[in-house]
Amino acid sequence: MAKALSIGPATAAPTVARRSAVRWLSYAFFVAALLFAAVAAALGDVFFFRLATESLIFGGLALSVDLLLGRTGLLPLGQALFFGFGAYVSALTLKHLAPSLPLALAVVLASCTLVGLIGGLIAIRAKGVYFALISFGLAQVVSKIVFNTRELGASDGLIGVPAPVIHLGVANLDTAHAPTFFLLVLGGMALLLALLMRLMDTPFGRQLDAIRTNEHRLAFLGFDPWRYKLAAFVLAADIAALSGALYPMLRGFVSPELMFFQVSGNAVINVIVGGSGSFVGALYGSALLTALKSVVGSFTAHHAIVIGALFVVSVIFFPRGLVGYLAPALQRLWSRR
Amino acid sequence: MIRYHLNAIAAVLALTPLVASAQTGPIRVGVVTPLSGTYAGIGQQVKWGLDLAAAQINAAGGVMGRKLELVYEDEEANPAVATQKAEKLLQVGKVDFLTGTVNSGSTLAVGQVAERNNRLIATTVSFADSITADKCSPNVFRVNARAGMQSAALADWMASTQKNANVFYLGPDYEMGRSTVAAFKTAAEGKGAKTVGEVFAPLDNKDYSPYFGQIRGARPTVIYTSVAGNDTVRLFTQMAEFGLNRNVQVVGASGTVTSQNLAAIGKAADGFVTGVGYSPSIDSAENRKFVADFEAVNKSKPDLYGADSYGVLFFYKAAVEKAGSTDTDKVREAMRGLQWATPQGMKTMRAGDHQAMQDMYAVKVVGGQFQIVGKVSAGAAIGPDACTRF
Amino acid sequence: MLDWLQFVLAPQVVNGLSIGVAVVLMALGLTIIFGLLDVINMAHGEFYAIGAYAALALIGVGLPFWWALALTPLLMAVVGYAAERALIQRVFHSKDRHTLTLLLTFGIGIILEDLLKIAFGANPLRIEPPITGATEMFGLFFPNYRLFLMASGAAVIAAVWVVAFRTRLGAMVRAAAFDRNMAASLGVPVSTVYAGTFAFGVALAGLSGVLLAPIYSVFPTMGRDFVLIAFSVVIIGGMGSIKGAVIAGLLLTQAQSISSLVISPVWSDPLLFGIMVLVLMWRPHGLFGRLGHG
Repeated sequence: MAKALSIGPATAAPTVARRSAVRWLSYAFFVAALLFAAVAAALGDVFFFRLATESLIFGGLALSVDLLLGRTGLLPLGQALFFGFGAYVSALTLKHLAPSLPLALAVVLASCTLVGLIGGLIAIRAKGVYFALISFGLAQVVSKIVFNTRELGASDGLIGVPAPVIHLGVANLDTAHAPTFFLLVLGGMALLLALLMRLMDTPFGRQLDAIRTNEHRLAFLGFDPWRYKLAAFVLAADIAALSGALYPMLRGFVSPELMFFQVSGNAVINVIVGGSGSFVGALYGSALLTALKSVVGSFTAHHAIVIGALFVVSVIFFPRGLVGYLAPALQRLWSRR
Repeated sequence: MIRYHLNAIAAVLALTPLVASAQTGPIRVGVVTPLSGTYAGIGQQVKWGLDLAAAQINAAGGVMGRKLELVYEDEEANPAVATQKAEKLLQVGKVDFLTGTVNSGSTLAVGQVAERNNRLIATTVSFADSITADKCSPNVFRVNARAGMQSAALADWMASTQKNANVFYLGPDYEMGRSTVAAFKTAAEGKGAKTVGEVFAPLDNKDYSPYFGQIRGARPTVIYTSVAGNDTVRLFTQMAEFGLNRNVQVVGASGTVTSQNLAAIGKAADGFVTGVGYSPSIDSAENRKFVADFEAVNKSKPDLYGADSYGVLFFYKAAVEKAGSTDTDKVREAMRGLQWATPQGMKTMRAGDHQAMQDMYAVKVVGGQFQIVGKVSAGAAIGPDACTRF
Repeated sequence: MLDWLQFVLAPQVVNGLSIGVAVVLMALGLTIIFGLLDVINMAHGEFYAIGAYAALALIGVGLPFWWALALTPLLMAVVGYAAERALIQRVFHSKDRHTLTLLLTFGIGIILEDLLKIAFGANPLRIEPPITGATEMFGLFFPNYRLFLMASGAAVIAAVWVVAFRTRLGAMVRAAAFDRNMAASLGVPVSTVYAGTFAFGVALAGLSGVLLAPIYSVFPTMGRDFVLIAFSVVIIGGMGSIKGAVIAGLLLTQAQSISSLVISPVWSDPLLFGIMVLVLMWRPHGLFGRLGHG
């Protein structure tokens, strides 16, 4: 009898009750975020708002990794490629076309869908482990090219990216205002999360789950897994790119380091520690690790060991991650009542 | 060693009333520098220089009677991390002044953060010309020599010792590597040298032997290289392995051979010449005292990063005392045209682009030590003011 | 034309060979570990680095280079055996073994790299080559140490081949790779074989570290030098194929070496990657099959 998969949502528990536990944890995340915003705003803080916004942006990247790893069963080791792509395209749009947030997002979405399609055509043909290594190689190669391209600022990157202002009829939302941008990004992530969870309930989502569980059988049922995997790949690329597009609005610059393996690796760590397959686990993981890095970094320069050790412990003893263990525990708690 | 108030909310609450009466407490200087990663060796020299200067300034009564307090954060030589840490220091740490960035990407990005927060920063390491040229900023100052100045010193030495030089250029293919080669090529060709070839290898390249055939074929009398760190160790030892450095003068950028990699390069570095703004062998009373003090505390000689970082606190001290306050606009005004004493002699901060002017030296590696073999005056080395923003 | 062949192409080919031998040694350990254990060892580069540092430490206490060369692989084998037993075995029996072991070794790699930084500092260090001087061949000079490298590398590769295909030990390993349960029921001590194979792969990485340290110097992130090319060689050659690792390793390094004569060096990595993608499109499992699967 095949053992249950360690990665991805536990299939043993009854689906309806488990889903509501995950849903509850998702609400809890956003409520906690709003509480944080209230406290920070009252104290007139700027730094922690920006740090939290950054963790949400990288959380978006982690979401895209979770879509591939936790749901489709593909491990991407080069997702930072699309994140960085989105960041650069957004920076160029804001700097040279117009400082408009909707425009930047639209340009990123359109261009990344195309790029994601090309990348997917190259990468999806490979199965399992090869996919991981190809996505790794693709990111390495492209990031090196960007690193050497003068027009993109080469190794120094691009500075002087303006922070856009959104003009709504009644008010102006200035992204340079830290609390405003934080709430904006939070809203965006909530929307993204809701969409993804909805998507998993559709036939398309079921296909992805089926691919993750046992890809070979799918062909016998008359479905071609290749098209679904490609669609998931492009979708994940778009999510990563849209998250990346927000980065220059936050920090006013982009640099090739945004495409490097460290960013891809961190995204995977966020997903595993937070709980793969649950989507909100990616956000929890990103928040947790950003906070941890900031705290540990104040004490020692060797934070890599702490994060690495946490990750190794997680992989060995808690492969389902934070949400992966909290959700069933919550269920058990509720079913006892 | 890294002192930082951890509980952020408590810190913000505690510091808010303090800031209101900030004119009596210590002056806090934030340092965002790579303490981990490939550039940790440079970050170490920066820290040593700053710590020594702060100790000496505080022992002599501080700045306008207030003590200097240094607060460190690790930027991992990554601009994304540098901006985050810089903001932490400015917002939560409430520092009055920032320094410590090493690579030019970080300096530029942190400069932007400084503008947003209305504070000043100074770099003591980054030597990309753009920082005080096309990408200059009113809140960014540079106390170390930039690439153009280093090239001027080296080109001057080369013109006087190598008649009819045939130069081959070998650099790492990234912004710094290419622009350093370009800067020197302009200076050298201006003095009559001939270019016989150019190759750009990937950064972190491990084996340079595939390019040696090409280099040999060009028959250069001088090889100029802008590799740095580990790449230099590999290039130089491999050149020695293949006998490429016989009968050829090897010169390079200031970051090519430094105290961080000199030990590993060993004998293969002998004869290497470069242009720098500082050498421990500068023969002046101030420098001898500085080197002795530095060695006593750190058991290591200072290099250009340590010396320039030492000097930046004296620069800030002089500016604050001239302005009579730590207010950003007053200090900026005071810094423009300021002259201050450093182990290398007097430096002048050019108002037009916030670039420090100083005498430059050509140094040669002999037996593991840098010896001075040439000197160019500040005015001749500095180059034109290309900053149009202010 | 003959001049070009002798003075430009020939030295380039010989150079490519010495680099190629280094790459093959790295790829061999990686492919053996994957071929038998189905484990992608993302920490392979770090074991390579540890081997170099171990040799440095041994030389530091006064041992001559040759002793360090002999002892380091033994030390690394112990480290590898311990790592397999303590860490990798734990995630081995789950269904997503591929992903989990990849992630696990990735995490181990992060920890090891930082440990090296703490223990030895971030600055580069060097081991003096034990053989100096150069030999004249075809009118040009080749450093003797590189010739030694090629010879010893070839000897190691030959030894691995002989052990894998001509000894009982090798037969046991191949049997366990092909069908674990059957091999176990035939009396092959499978978990020992697994741990031993991982140890062997790690020892190979450590050996490469020692052999290459005199020409490539030693620093904490040195493991990253080989990551892309070693994995590409393994993928192109066929994951788990010794023959594949050797042939692909030699061919690819030749391709890079010769192409650097005509195209800008910056394109050599993208070239490699492009070749990898093309090969995978044509033969998704690489050029040759897996260990045990012919």
